[in-house]
Amino acid sequence: MRKLISLVLFLATVVVSGSFAAYPSKTVKLIVPSKAGGSTDTTARLFAQTAKKYWKNTDFIIIDKPGSGGLMGFEAEARSRPDGYTIGLMFTPQIVAHIVAKRASYTLKSFKIIGNIAEDPEIVVVPAQSSVKNLDELVKLAKSKKITAAVNGIGSDDFLAAKNFESATGVKFNLMPTRGSTEEKAAILGNHIEVAFMNLSQMLAQHKAGKARIIAIMAKKRSSVAMDIKTSVEQGYNVLMTATRGMLISSKVKKNIAAKIEDLYTKVVNDKGFQAKCKKAYIFLDPMNSSEYTAYLEQLQKDTQKVYDVSPW
Amino acid sequence: MIILDALQAVMSVNVLTAVTIGSISGVIIGGMPGLTATMAVALLIPITFSFSPLIGLSLMGGVYAGAMYGGSIAAILLSTPGTPAAAATAIEGYPLTKQGKGGLALKVSVIASFIGGTFSVVVLLLVSPLLAQFALKFGPPEYFLLALMGLTGVISVSSGGLAKGIMSGLIGLIIALIGTDAMSGMLRYTFGIVQLYEGVSFMPALIGMFSIAQMLALTSEKRIANEGIDLSSIKREKMPKGMAPFIALGTAVGTIVGIIPGEGATIAAFVSYNMAKQKSKFKELFGKGNPEGIAAAESGNNACVGGSLVPLLTLGIPGNTVSAALMGGLMIQGLIPGPELFTKYGQITYGFILSLFIANIVFLVVGLFFAPYFARIALIPASILIAAISVFAVIGSYAINNSMFDVGLMLIFAFGGFFLDKLGFSLSAIILGMILGPIAESGFAQALTISGGTYGIFFASVPAKILWVVIIVLLVQPLIGHYRSRKIKNTAS
Repeated sequence: MRKLISLVLFLATVVVSGSFAAYPSKTVKLIVPSKAGGSTDTTARLFAQTAKKYWKNTDFIIIDKPGSGGLMGFEAEARSRPDGYTIGLMFTPQIVAHIVAKRASYTLKSFKIIGNIAEDPEIVVVPAQSSVKNLDELVKLAKSKKITAAVNGIGSDDFLAAKNFESATGVKFNLMPTRGSTEEKAAILGNHIEVAFMNLSQMLAQHKAGKARIIAIMAKKRSSVAMDIKTSVEQGYNVLMTATRGMLISSKVKKNIAAKIEDLYTKVVNDKGFQAKCKKAYIFLDPMNSSEYTAYLEQLQKDTQKVYDVSPW
Repeated sequence: MIILDALQAVMSVNVLTAVTIGSISGVIIGGMPGLTATMAVALLIPITFSFSPLIGLSLMGGVYAGAMYGGSIAAILLSTPGTPAAAATAIEGYPLTKQGKGGLALKVSVIASFIGGTFSVVVLLLVSPLLAQFALKFGPPEYFLLALMGLTGVISVSSGGLAKGIMSGLIGLIIALIGTDAMSGMLRYTFGIVQLYEGVSFMPALIGMFSIAQMLALTSEKRIANEGIDLSSIKREKMPKGMAPFIALGTAVGTIVGIIPGEGATIAAFVSYNMAKQKSKFKELFGKGNPEGIAAAESGNNACVGGSLVPLLTLGIPGNTVSAALMGGLMIQGLIPGPELFTKYGQITYGFILSLFIANIVFLVVGLFFAPYFARIALIPASILIAAISVFAVIGSYAINNSMFDVGLMLIFAFGGFFLDKLGFSLSAIILGMILGPIAESGFAQALTISGGTYGIFFASVPAKILWVVIIVLLVQPLIGHYRSRKIKNTAS
């Protein structure tokens, strides 16, 4: 009988601590859909470090699930237990590109979008030795002969930017997909190709050192870290592209828990220490709240669909 | 002058402690399959905020240098390469362990690693800007040729005859075809399995074919060291004579290959190993436990550490995943790769380079001291060892990508590898094909994209021409040797 009572008591404790304990009472996992040491991984690690300040009794662990342009990680995030203890990092345009290319088993509806953290605008970069100084000259050169343009993989932001640029200007590049931005970097610095579509953080140092020339940033506004680079819009080309890095949870997470996570997100992105660390690490903060970012992602999926319909991959 | 300032900065207690901790933990991390130096450096990035830049960097540099050496310990003792770069070391190291000479193999490995690592850091210290220009000469066609050069190693690593060796290399290349075609984005042989979109993960295959396949073979033995060996006498072995030329060879190859961004360390180890076999007077001993192979392979992969930092520090091009993570660490400290690193931030940069010397010394001392103790693993009864290693193998294959699929993959490779090995196929050649296949393929396709489909691009540049000569030399000699030995066999019969 005593055994039975203690069993009942034990079970009661387990059940109570399991379901009624206030969130967060357990370790929170942050899934990073890319390799350790990359910029999404660093963003997550800095986020976790700052989040600890606000949720003092909660531990955060980073789980890197790299592979297939983030697909492995996004799938894991979509399948995660909706108890609020799994928060996913994500990046665009890959998360929607996989949906468009019918590779993903998730849709945007599988997720509750928490918000955007950072962005890395798309740039057009040429070797330092190149005679091309702006987009007009690039278009002129591309019309006079076939030039090679490097993009980091098919269906990436680089690829979509190059495709959008092609359809806006009528030029046709010799598109050279690479495995990673390092290959693009080496090809530009070594003057092996004419032009590359990359992200600002990947080439900013080389641009500042005069080893490569960024001729345009594909955004409406110039970047505060490189005011000398003209935007594509300024140069008369309305081609925009940026890589955003945000945060999401499963759409099945309870509303009150989701609200707590959103609150944590807001506190972290507004934290002065977090902002200072991100600046140093070349992470360009661009917070967007849940509704803004959800709308952004839906629009991005439509735009990506248009590119896919013309030239599928 | 700036170097003297840097030296003074390095000689502080804090920095020396950081390097020592970094290097020792690197050795441990490198020795465990599934824990990688990349992961360790990434973990350190947020922590380094709280330290001064030099302490943070020397901690990371120590991990990098230590892990590259650490990979060889498990490769030699258990045929379980902790890093792909140590796979070539396992080919010679494990047979030595079986002969009860694990201590000797470990000693050769640590000394070769030290010399390779130290020399490449000297090069980094003295002539990096010059070498960076050399690295930039390598475009897609040269990458293709570099991979081809690595693939010639298939002939050297195959002990069961040339035909089976080439078949093994082709099996590796075929496995490498699985995944997303980088050029078109199309899926190849993935059968709708999401986990295969990226291709077959390399570490589970390595752990399966080397580690578990060996453990399966071990089930018929009482322990790793062969019967009849006086087991109480694994003492401090003397360094064998005649290692110097092989260490020099590996160091030279590793430093050069390391400078070229790409899968540096693995290619360097296999190319050094291949060249050592052709140069050796004891060719027939290769594959059966020749310390010359260990000397070349280990000096080769460690020489990549300094080499890979050349394009990183001067141009901001990381040569491999570890140095990519290291770049994250540099940038977080406000150190942007480029010329300023050597002038404005000279004290930190040179301090970091000098700390790598210390990291090398630390792992040398640790390695030499512990080698005889580590070597005793060969005496552990197989029944205990197999269970322990299998646990490590499962955890290791899971931890790389946090994926259960990879564990299944590891088991498939383990059983497949066991039978292929029994049939005389070369598992090392399969691994080589798997690593180099994607590099060769994308280099080939990218080169043809640039040239508009003309094959002349593969012969156009000076580095390309040199690479062709090396490839031909590496191919001709073993083929002649093979032909001769067949002729002798024919006349004998």
